[in-house]
Amino acid sequence: MNYSYTPQSGAVKFTMILSGAVFALMMVLGLLMRAAQGEWLDIEPELFYQILTAHGAGMVGTAGLSGAAVMWYFLGRHIPLTKAVFWIFLSLFIAGVVFILGSIFVGGFAGGWTFLFPLPAMSGGLWEVGAAVSFMLGYTLIGVGFLIYYIEVGRQIIKRFGGLANALGWQLILGRKTDDIPPPAIVAAAAVVIFNSIAIVLGAAVLVVSIVNLLAPEFEVDALLAKNLIYFFGHVFINASIYMAVVAVYEIIPEYTGRPWKTTRIFAIAWNVVLIFVMAIYWHHLLQDTVLPAWMLITGQLVSYFSGIPLLAVTAFSLCVYIRGSNMKWDLTSALLVISIAGWSVGSIPASIDGMIAVNKVMHNTQWVPGHFHTYLLLGEVAMSFGFMAWLVRGKNIRTLSGLDKAAFITYVFGAVGFILVFLISGAASVPRRWAVHLPEWILQDRVGTIFAALVVLGTLGFVVRYVLGLIFENQASGDQISGDQNSGDMSSGGQPSLGQKA
Amino acid sequence: MQPLILTISLVVMAVVALLFWRSVRAASKPPQQENVGKRRTQLIWGLVVFGVFISIASLREWPHAIASGEDAIVVNVTGGQWWWEIDTEEVPLGKPVNFFVTTEDVNHGMGIYNSDMQLLVQVQAMPGYTNKVTYTFDEPGLYQVLCMEYCGVSHHDMTNEFNVVAVDQ
Ligand code: HEM
Ligand SMILES: [Cu+2]
Repeated sequence: MNYSYTPQSGAVKFTMILSGAVFALMMVLGLLMRAAQGEWLDIEPELFYQILTAHGAGMVGTAGLSGAAVMWYFLGRHIPLTKAVFWIFLSLFIAGVVFILGSIFVGGFAGGWTFLFPLPAMSGGLWEVGAAVSFMLGYTLIGVGFLIYYIEVGRQIIKRFGGLANALGWQLILGRKTDDIPPPAIVAAAAVVIFNSIAIVLGAAVLVVSIVNLLAPEFEVDALLAKNLIYFFGHVFINASIYMAVVAVYEIIPEYTGRPWKTTRIFAIAWNVVLIFVMAIYWHHLLQDTVLPAWMLITGQLVSYFSGIPLLAVTAFSLCVYIRGSNMKWDLTSALLVISIAGWSVGSIPASIDGMIAVNKVMHNTQWVPGHFHTYLLLGEVAMSFGFMAWLVRGKNIRTLSGLDKAAFITYVFGAVGFILVFLISGAASVPRRWAVHLPEWILQDRVGTIFAALVVLGTLGFVVRYVLGLIFENQASGDQISGDQNSGDMSSGGQPSLGQKA
Repeated sequence: MQPLILTISLVVMAVVALLFWRSVRAASKPPQQENVGKRRTQLIWGLVVFGVFISIASLREWPHAIASGEDAIVVNVTGGQWWWEIDTEEVPLGKPVNFFVTTEDVNHGMGIYNSDMQLLVQVQAMPGYTNKVTYTFDEPGLYQVLCMEYCGVSHHDMTNEFNVVAVDQ
């Protein structure tokens, strides 16, 4: 692979400090909620639901932010990207966060991260219209930032590869001869640019409509349409965060296995299938809206199952093949990146099962749902981001896992597995999700979950502190500035130049 | 039903985790010459065939089918912040009950729990729409309705109950 360009490493490193810190902070909020459900903490329902809203929006946003940073970094090897675009994206993101935090913790907004129409307008006196509007403006700012980001990525991909179809590997799929095969990062980016732009535009539409409705209630919105748009946007957006972050796996794992991650025909097909499936799957959030036409619900169930195939048979399978016999070394980076694909794959199973209409009748909106999505977030997207952060400060040589790294890794993974299992077990015990106050018979499970959650927080603090220290030492060693440093970043963090830079 | 779902899920999750673990262990073993492409194709076809089978099996009988027979009865349920109105207190045992569910304000979710706090069935309550779901109770006793869709600060307090009673023929 020929890396012709240099990634914008300073901006990305800075973004990963932000992401790590916000992940940690939001996890503490999660821990507080779990402890409150277990009655170890006394949190008023008003505050609980504000925290729930902040945790949901904050985590989804940060997953998107970190995923975008990962993808930007590696795309920077293959296409020239305008640096200012990333700074605009980041500024809009931060501005959006300010609006959202203000809306929740000053304005008292607690409409949930899904702002399901018409709840933002009907708080029962808990928050004013202004708070709801501020929340939605915050989302809109973030959405605009993402659109600008995708326009730049899309534009440069089209320029370099002569169209999105080529970048999606259609030449390969159609069996045409070509010697300009797009690298995996480009294929992934082309797909994400398409589906997440659509999601954000539709998300913006429902935001605008909701804002108008808030300001002029006589303007009516169809609740079922709004629900469709919101879940379409929400589902695609959170999935996009994983599909962006997985680029770290494609680009970093080859340094360890010595085997380049290639764009094969099956790889290209898988991404094209994902591109369609990710947009048709959201109906599995609406399986209990029986007024919807049956074909939508059936599509939701079928796609929930079949979208597991590209993940399991292509991404996971390929990773396992690359690992076997590679004699790869295990450090924090490789361990986290491998576990991220494992966690994503494992987490897709309870999700697909919940996508069956018959199962969904008794599992929907129980804690089964946070059980499965925390799996592919904590042990998926977040693990990819932490793995990327560890790689950024790794230096040129791969060292084996040090004692402290090992401790943080084991604490994190053990805590996450336990935390998730408790959610799944509680879901099977019919504990509803998003309940501030739990029945006495659920308290024990909540407490066990709280203990595991504390381990996750601990492991996370370890990763984040290690990353920040790594940046400081790296800068001391080389005298670099965090921002604006373009060249040394790739050298100091691009790791083993062997495979990547040479071939 | 839930214990079965949990068991199946955990078993499949464990199998996938185990496959990863085996690959990780195999990292330090000498590389094996095997036909990767063929195995991948087998895996894909295996998953497709299984998927077709399970999809047909689980959808052949439409899970949301509404009872239309003579003995089916209708119960209207309306949600609001933060209450449930159920237009009957007693529901007959052993007869299909069609729940017609709607809401006066925001989205809610009607979840029916038995006395062991096990969720039996649920359906969403949508502003401007009536969602329908059928359930046949096979045990008499007190049942609870809990809210399954976040609807504001008293979401967790939004409960009501009804009785299932045996009726003479
Ligand atoms: C220590 C780590 C974490 C803890 C303790 C935690 C805890 C929680 C709790 C208690 C809930 C509410 C459960 C309920 O509905 O009863 C929740 C919901 C949620 N969490 Fe986490 N979480 C953690 C990490 C994450 C991460 C890493 C993400 C995403 C990247 C995430 C995303 C979400 C989302 C989207 C919701 C749904 C919010 C809603 O229902 O409106 N969480 N979490
Ligand atoms: Cu509710």
